[in-house]
Amino acid sequence: MTGPTNTPATGRLAVEVHGLAKNYGQVEALRGIDLSIHEGERFALLGPNGAGKTTLFSILATLRAPTSGFARVLGHDVVKERAAVRRGMSVVFQEPAIEQRLTGRENLLLMGLLFGLPSAQAKRRAAALLDDLGLADSADRPASRLSGGQRRKLELARALVTDPRILFLDEATLGLDVDARRGFWAHVRTLAASGRTVFFTTHYMEEAEVADRIALIDSGRIVALDSPRALKARLGGGVIRLETDDESVARTWLAERGFNPEGSGREIMLLHADPAAVLPDILRSMPTHVRRAEVHEPSLEDVFLKLTGRGLTGEALAGPGGRPGGSRGGSGP
Amino acid sequence: MMRGIYAILVLDLKRAWIDRARIIAGLAQPLLYLFVLGSGLGANSQFGGSQYRLYIFPGVIALSLLFTATFAAIVIVFDRQFGFFKAILVAPVPRSAIAFGKIAAGAVQAFAQGVVVLPFAPLAGVHLGILSTVELLAAMLLASAAFSAVGVAVAARFNSTTVFPVVSNALLLPMFFLSGALYPLQGTPHWMQVAAHFDPVAYAVDLMRGAVLGRFFFDPWLSVGALVAVVAAVGWEAVRIFNRGEDDSALGAARFNWRR
Repeated sequence: MTGPTNTPATGRLAVEVHGLAKNYGQVEALRGIDLSIHEGERFALLGPNGAGKTTLFSILATLRAPTSGFARVLGHDVVKERAAVRRGMSVVFQEPAIEQRLTGRENLLLMGLLFGLPSAQAKRRAAALLDDLGLADSADRPASRLSGGQRRKLELARALVTDPRILFLDEATLGLDVDARRGFWAHVRTLAASGRTVFFTTHYMEEAEVADRIALIDSGRIVALDSPRALKARLGGGVIRLETDDESVARTWLAERGFNPEGSGREIMLLHADPAAVLPDILRSMPTHVRRAEVHEPSLEDVFLKLTGRGLTGEALAGPGGRPGGSRGGSGP
Repeated sequence: MMRGIYAILVLDLKRAWIDRARIIAGLAQPLLYLFVLGSGLGANSQFGGSQYRLYIFPGVIALSLLFTATFAAIVIVFDRQFGFFKAILVAPVPRSAIAFGKIAAGAVQAFAQGVVVLPFAPLAGVHLGILSTVELLAAMLLASAAFSAVGVAVAARFNSTTVFPVVSNALLLPMFFLSGALYPLQGTPHWMQVAAHFDPVAYAVDLMRGAVLGRFFFDPWLSVGALVAVVAAVGWEAVRIFNRGEDDSALGAARFNWRR
């Protein structure tokens, strides 16, 4: 189940990971990750808190060194050739990485200098990016006085100052409203269309759908890696969700009838090849009252639930891959 | 490398400039020492009030440099709490350039704060000639660099904004008291004189006092050498700490960091 599947046959590799493991003392945050990402791909990393997302992300972004295995970004080793990797990449962090008291323009200018652009070129680049992202009008206001969505766009602009070939986004839209998120991803799509590789982590399912391929990660391992469509096709058919007055009676009854009730809590989840055909019968004969019934296409959430027995966003999920990987500097509170 | 240092320097100075009101507020402490403590203690000492103010004037400048440089270094600890520092760490800038840039930025801020105190010299009974002004400024510059290096090297180890101020106070006050900023080292107990030899602030104070009064406790070249050595040694240590963060920490400090 692990390992690259369904990789396009052509194109150069933007990311190449082999046997990557990371321990924090006793805790194994990553337990052998293999991964290839092609240039120009939009690649999403999905998993619950503590699954190892942030650790993998940090290693690829040259912020941490792996315990064993290797990772190459743009053909360069992320430990031995950090400087080369850094010249070709940019990162948008979950936390703000712009100086709130400086204006957007000043922030971009300084970042340009930091990345080695001459002052005049940094100025031109800043102006062009502010235009592109629709921030030109508010460019000379302190960043603290921008809206949440504008600030996130400014973060994206900051990351683009150097014209990176690969862009790492770590929960880049956390806390934004739907509109702002849409605006943000519209820009990311444009970037990917121009041949840049985009590697991102997210909590929002609909954002992951943007990706060409998704890696589902759990307890430090990749449990599935495929296109969103193929991942969902794995479940086959569709999903029935039921809410009943007596959940245990319903489960027992369903099991007797050869169904395989899944999901936890009040909501029962059934996977079936043809949900619409069996639902009427279930509703008619169920020995307890059905309060709510829903049929839908499998979502990524369902795929994850099926593969790991747990939800993606639910609480109390941190397995042994636990806290350090997930909560430090990344997907923590 | 040079461009990296320049970028960090510009970045920090721009941010400091936003808080330029701090320079005025930063005057309170040295003036308090000079005119309140100086007048009070001076009146009751063998110096006599005006003589004492003249005597501690260089010490008060050192105080100003020391506290401003350390305060500037706190920015490193603050930045760690946000993604700001991470964005700098993933830039293709050598960690040594980040360390040197931070040291330079702290030194410039400290020096500026020290210069602001100078116009009060006549009120303290200090009359500076051109030559002694130049000497004093040179000594201040060297001292600023040394104090800033110490501040950065210490701050680079911490990521807690509550711990660092406590630790830095525990370091700053002994360094200040042992420096002879407020009294001549000649009259102090032997152990204090010995301790002063290990205190960079003592060399800085002595060098500045020499520039103002023409009297030295240490050989001036020893003081210059000691301060240059501090800049080199502590600067190297700061680079080492920043580099160490390469291998295992998202934020650049290996200690006090992810294990909570």
